[in-house]
Amino acid sequence: MAESLAHECTPLKKEYDSCFNAWFEGYLEPAVSASSSRDRYSEYSQRKAEEFQQKCGKIWEEYRGCVHKALKEKGLDAMIQQSREENPLVQPPPLP
Amino acid sequence: MKYHSQSFFYDDPWAIVSLAYFLRYPNPYASHIISCDVISRSVSPSGNLHTTRLILKRGSLPRWAPKGIISRAESWSTHWEKTLRCTTKNLEFTKVMKMEESVFIRQTEEGKTIQTTEARVFSGFGWGLTKRIESHGLNRFKAHVQRSREGVSVILNLIRESRLQLHPMTLGGDPNVTVRSNEDSDDKTARKAQNGTWARMKGWFSNSKG
Repeated sequence: MAESLAHECTPLKKEYDSCFNAWFEGYLEPAVSASSSRDRYSEYSQRKAEEFQQKCGKIWEEYRGCVHKALKEKGLDAMIQQSREENPLVQPPPLP
Repeated sequence: MKYHSQSFFYDDPWAIVSLAYFLRYPNPYASHIISCDVISRSVSPSGNLHTTRLILKRGSLPRWAPKGIISRAESWSTHWEKTLRCTTKNLEFTKVMKMEESVFIRQTEEGKTIQTTEARVFSGFGWGLTKRIESHGLNRFKAHVQRSREGVSVILNLIRESRLQLHPMTLGGDPNVTVRSNEDSDDKTARKAQNGTWARMKGWFSNSKG
């Protein structure tokens, strides 16, 4: 996959990506059948989230720590923070 | 503000198109992408997976703007209605132009997938340049949509091919290979994931990276 913005974070990113993508693939396919009901989907997602935490939680913390440190060093965190305040991408956009 | 919307279909089901869209970098049509990092990720109480990524691209600004690296933030979520929504916006030069691109990937009734891409371009720059800036932004977007779709198609083909290799039974191969079922235990899922599509694709990526 693509590199990380900071050279030193790239190996962590690659390890995290591998872990996440393998999990994500396992998440997507059954998610389609679990989506028959909202409750089932929610329960399914929570279960999958715990599974992710067990398998990839540690590498995620390491990778995230590295990225946020690099963002600070490059002065990008201020830009992201400002962007979040102006127009937070929190709510998914409405379907067209 | 200028607005543009475009839709197209993929023959493949939603799950594989979503995966391809998510894994779209790197691809041959996106040589201007420098880096892609996940900044945050969470599962909402309703079970939607929400991710925010920071993407740095080599400068693709108009001639009269300074060259440099552009950053874009991308946020997307998978939804229980078999929908992937991805919103991307630029983080720099927002005083000149704000552009927001939203991609919706949904399953159709026939089991295919439809992708709808919307763009909103806004400039509050003034000085008589607003219309020109907004038009430029929108034209860039229109040119980019086709390239983006081709990039996703490349990844889609890679995924499809790697899955065919994993399940030779579909091509009349070994009848002793078990077909995956949705009641897989966690162990089976883990083993499958390790030998899964992503693991195989990794090999291709590391081989093709010069």
